[in-house]
Amino acid sequence: MNTDLTGKLPLREHVGNIRKVLKFVRSMDKNYFRIVCVTHVLDIGVPYVELLLSAYILDAIGAHRSFREMMTVVFCCIAVILAMRFVASTIRNRMEVRRQHMYYLYSGVVQARMLNMDFSRIDSPEVKKLKDRIRVDNNWGAGVNSVIWNGNNILYHLLDMVGAVVLGAPVVVYLIRSGSVAAWLMLAGVLVLSAWSLRMQVRFKKLTDAYRYTELKTVEEKEDGFSFCWPFAFGDGFSYKNGKDIRIYGSYELMKRWTTEVLRHKGFRSLLLKGAWGDAGDSFFGSMAYSAVNGASYLIVAIIALAGTITVGNVIRFAGCLSRLLHSLKGLIDNLTYLALAARKQLSTLALIGLEDEMYKGKLPVEKRRDNKYQIEFRNVSFRYPGSERYALKNFSLKLTIGEKLAIVGMNGSGKTTMIKLLCRLYDPEEGEILLNGVDIRKFRQDEYSRLFSVVFQDYKLFPFRLAENVAVDLDYDGGYVKKCLEDADFGERLSCLEKGIHTWLYKDYDDSGVEISGGEAQKVAIARAIYKDAPFILLDEPTAALDPIAEYEIYTNFDRIVGTKTAIYISHRLSSCRFCEKIAVFHEGELAQLGSHEELLADREGKYFQLWSAQARYYRDNGIEVAGVRC
Amino acid sequence: MEKGKEAFEPKHYSIGSDILFFVRFYRQQEPMVLAFCGTEILLSALLPLFLIYLPKLTVDLVEGRAGMERLFLALGGFTVLLMLLDGLKSAVSAGKYNLYNTQRGNLLGLFFLKSLRIRYEYAESGSVRKLYGKALNTVDGGDWCASSRMVTETCGLLINILSFFLYSTVIGSLSLGVLAVLLALSVVNYLLSMSHIRYEESLREENALANKHYYCVQNAMGDMGAAKDIRIFGMQHWLLGLRDVALKELDGVTLKSRRRNSFYEKIGYLLSAGRDLGAYAWLLYQTAGGKLSAGEFVLYFGAVTGFSGFVTGIMGSLAALRGAANGTDYTRAYLDLPEEDLSSGTRHIEELRFPPEIEFRNVCFSYKNGEENDEQGTGEKEIFHDLNLTIRSGERIALVGVNGAGKTTFVKLLCGIYEPDAGQILINGIDRNEFPRTEVYQLFSAIFQEQMILPFTVGENLALKRADEVDEKRAWAALERAGLKETFQDRKIGIKTYMTKTMMEDGVELSGGQQQRFLLARALYKDAPVLVLDEPTAALDPIAESEVYEQYDRYSSGKTAVFISHRLASTRFSDRIVLIENGRILETGTHEELMRAGGVYAEMFEIQSSYYREGADEDEH
Repeated sequence: MNTDLTGKLPLREHVGNIRKVLKFVRSMDKNYFRIVCVTHVLDIGVPYVELLLSAYILDAIGAHRSFREMMTVVFCCIAVILAMRFVASTIRNRMEVRRQHMYYLYSGVVQARMLNMDFSRIDSPEVKKLKDRIRVDNNWGAGVNSVIWNGNNILYHLLDMVGAVVLGAPVVVYLIRSGSVAAWLMLAGVLVLSAWSLRMQVRFKKLTDAYRYTELKTVEEKEDGFSFCWPFAFGDGFSYKNGKDIRIYGSYELMKRWTTEVLRHKGFRSLLLKGAWGDAGDSFFGSMAYSAVNGASYLIVAIIALAGTITVGNVIRFAGCLSRLLHSLKGLIDNLTYLALAARKQLSTLALIGLEDEMYKGKLPVEKRRDNKYQIEFRNVSFRYPGSERYALKNFSLKLTIGEKLAIVGMNGSGKTTMIKLLCRLYDPEEGEILLNGVDIRKFRQDEYSRLFSVVFQDYKLFPFRLAENVAVDLDYDGGYVKKCLEDADFGERLSCLEKGIHTWLYKDYDDSGVEISGGEAQKVAIARAIYKDAPFILLDEPTAALDPIAEYEIYTNFDRIVGTKTAIYISHRLSSCRFCEKIAVFHEGELAQLGSHEELLADREGKYFQLWSAQARYYRDNGIEVAGVRC
Repeated sequence: MEKGKEAFEPKHYSIGSDILFFVRFYRQQEPMVLAFCGTEILLSALLPLFLIYLPKLTVDLVEGRAGMERLFLALGGFTVLLMLLDGLKSAVSAGKYNLYNTQRGNLLGLFFLKSLRIRYEYAESGSVRKLYGKALNTVDGGDWCASSRMVTETCGLLINILSFFLYSTVIGSLSLGVLAVLLALSVVNYLLSMSHIRYEESLREENALANKHYYCVQNAMGDMGAAKDIRIFGMQHWLLGLRDVALKELDGVTLKSRRRNSFYEKIGYLLSAGRDLGAYAWLLYQTAGGKLSAGEFVLYFGAVTGFSGFVTGIMGSLAALRGAANGTDYTRAYLDLPEEDLSSGTRHIEELRFPPEIEFRNVCFSYKNGEENDEQGTGEKEIFHDLNLTIRSGERIALVGVNGAGKTTFVKLLCGIYEPDAGQILINGIDRNEFPRTEVYQLFSAIFQEQMILPFTVGENLALKRADEVDEKRAWAALERAGLKETFQDRKIGIKTYMTKTMMEDGVELSGGQQQRFLLARALYKDAPVLVLDEPTAALDPIAESEVYEQYDRYSSGKTAVFISHRLASTRFSDRIVLIENGRILETGTHEELMRAGGVYAEMFEIQSSYYREGADEDEH
């Protein structure tokens, strides 16, 4: 996608973009623009009735009409205006609700798309780039709101021009009849002036665009112009907890250099002044042309009047119409330009929404088995993360026996978590296959296949919604069962202290009555969620790194009890956590290095397991009990 | 040093005071904004008057059968004047936008820097962090933020007030009676605006709540960290359901507000219909009586119908200013927080013999209500009561204990990040507060749990000083000692290479183990006499973990050092183990002494080592 928003596009492409975007607006609210047109017609009608009334009055004064007659006309006109305004107000305010609805819907459209995008895609450079692009594109008041806004204005100006032409048409006759060269010259003059100022506006807008969309590219440019005021203040790349380091290491000046000081740098200033100057120039020429049109309209009609053919009232009427026509013409051109730009800025959003899934979506239903006899096998699986050269898993084969408890150990980056992700089909293998009861898992319906797994990831996530919803992951839940799962996860004690029980809000983000829970408690809720799902496979991916040894030990023994006869996989850095597993798989650099019981593995002094084990064990050597590993 | 753990409730300032605050702010930061605003206010008040004269002028000229020349001169001259003034007005009005808009970033920067200038204890406390959040909010939200609205709405207010008086003069010259009627109408408008604004304000909270709900759900949906859980547990249905609930809530508030808006609009229409009817009647009556010319009729009618907008405008600006002033209170409250006293002190650390001895004497410390922002929750919580501990010169201490025992709090007290509620912390027997705080900070090379790698250069990250203050030689030496020099040279990373991908696309990212070493290099670069390490290995695998320990062991010699770790392995490198539980020192001594004593430490060690022992036992069979 073209990232340069200021570059030229052929008209055809602009039209295509606008149609795409309008289609998108229609998909959110089908009749919005149609209904809005009704309010426009009424809104535009009001000034014309007023104009006609003024014209009538001026002529009536000249003709010495009776006060009573004039007041009757005035009364009727005012009544009509009032009625039009009432109806317009009712519809307009209703439509505002719908516009607002679209605005909110749109503001979450990226997030909603993220919900059902292929997992392998959401972190991909492609999607990241699109998201960055969307952020830039929706900056400066853009977004679907500006599409709606400009669309509305265009409709308004079009209808306004119709009104001006219908009511002001006779002026052409008068103009021709007057034969005044001066009037024609004025008209030509004001059109030329308008065109010229439009060109000047474009020139100044380029300065503004330079300010808004200039990307800092070179290191020098970034050093001069990159300010961390926004990210740092909002905790992006800096946590308030890092304030400790700033104080201890005396780094205040460093932080100042990258925040407020940047705003005083030469490069930053010159760009900013460009922006200010651009906006000022753009507006100067816009308003100047506007006033020129206003003045010239009166002047032209006055010149015609001098020829003696029109009344004072008609001077006001035609001048009004002429001025509205010219304004609307300019407004139309302006808004079409803006709409083209706004539409262009929505392309990134539309591209993200329209991104097609890459993963093969199977249609095979997963057989529901009461006996939970599901056999999983990894067969020669190799996998690299998108954009990475390194194999995270390489020629990996493993059979998970039904009902078995398997521990996975290995160094950071040895492929433990990757294996879990492949197993749950968050990614598809590059080579090889994963089989469920002998069938490639790609062939199954994804939603049904996912139902087989309960996972507590290393970085499990709870949401700031109701406790019960967090466990059941739905708005509807079986309260009794939720409670039982929480109790099974050892959360019962805390639950009994909660005033609202399972209806308590977690954290205070959504509801102020929410409760803060500790890391250990959050863990228990995450485990309760895994229990509630009641899946035949339970996977536990090192959720205990931050816990002290005693708490960790408790979690593991507790979980062991919960798992019962299900197939379970445990991942841990701490080898001590695997002690209750029948089998241990040792991962090394993406490969299955060893597989066996603790005793078997430890017997192999050359093996990875022995190495890992002794790295930890040696700290416990001189404990009065000499261990075998030490003597070697 | 003052303790001050009270909640920071912002003072309430008047709108006038807030306007003055921002006038001063912009005068200091971006004076052009003020010049632009002044010009805009003056021209904006004058221009409408010109505009209502245009039809009058035309009518007069046409009625008076003026010649072509006069027509051109009068109308043409008028038009040119209008063009220039209107152009200028729009130019300053639009030109100021980027200038004040950029100040939002500046304000954020000032808030951020302020958070580094107040005592850390404040900065991390719940009440100040809340205040910080609210201060940040005042510049968030684009053009609707307080700092921008203070500019636009103050301009709007002054323009409307000025116009009000100018129009009053024009109409007063026609008839004081008409002016009186219009003023009376203004009072009605005022009352209506008041009641409308009050209604809107009553909705504000509801609206904010609905917004909060909606964006909370939206954040949950877009949370990349939750993507795995969302897919495996099939949370899409739940989250979209929550979104629809929140959307409905939002629609409900909008509908309420819009219904009421329509109601007030209609009353306004009725009033202006009455006003127009009256104006026509009066002016036509006057004209029919020959007291007004057609031109004057047009002028006065324009003046009368234009009049009503001002009061509504003034009220609107005032309401908006009141909203913005609320935000401004937070801005001012945050910027007014007392800064940490860094420089006063009678003693200097140059006088001290290094490595220093540090003594905690009867130290008490507690978190007040809502202060502690860790997970443990709220309520006053005493951490230490009468804590006594002396870390001797050059001694290496291992601090152990379960989660929440107070280990991290101890480290913060030690480094001078926290100040005890009661008791003293002495350095070489001298009360710490006799030294300037900057000098106290200089004593420590600390690696905290929350690892900080800033998106700046390697040099800036190592020294945590501005690039021009970085000593390259020293930086390389520190990297070498931390075992990173070769890795960096292999990857062609220099002192001026940028880290993380935040600013530079090709910025350097380090693996967990490398990052740990980098932090060690930072501590080595500073080379302070006291080394403090808080739980550095939680995320590392066993082999990386043991490497890190060995490095710390090597570089802590000749320094006073404090280690914290869950894994008791760290105790091997220490001269003494201090076990804290519930804020008390439960056991202290060497590993052997504590094992012999058979207390809590021995029990913890048992649990951790049992696996390795069992394995060993079986292995021996």
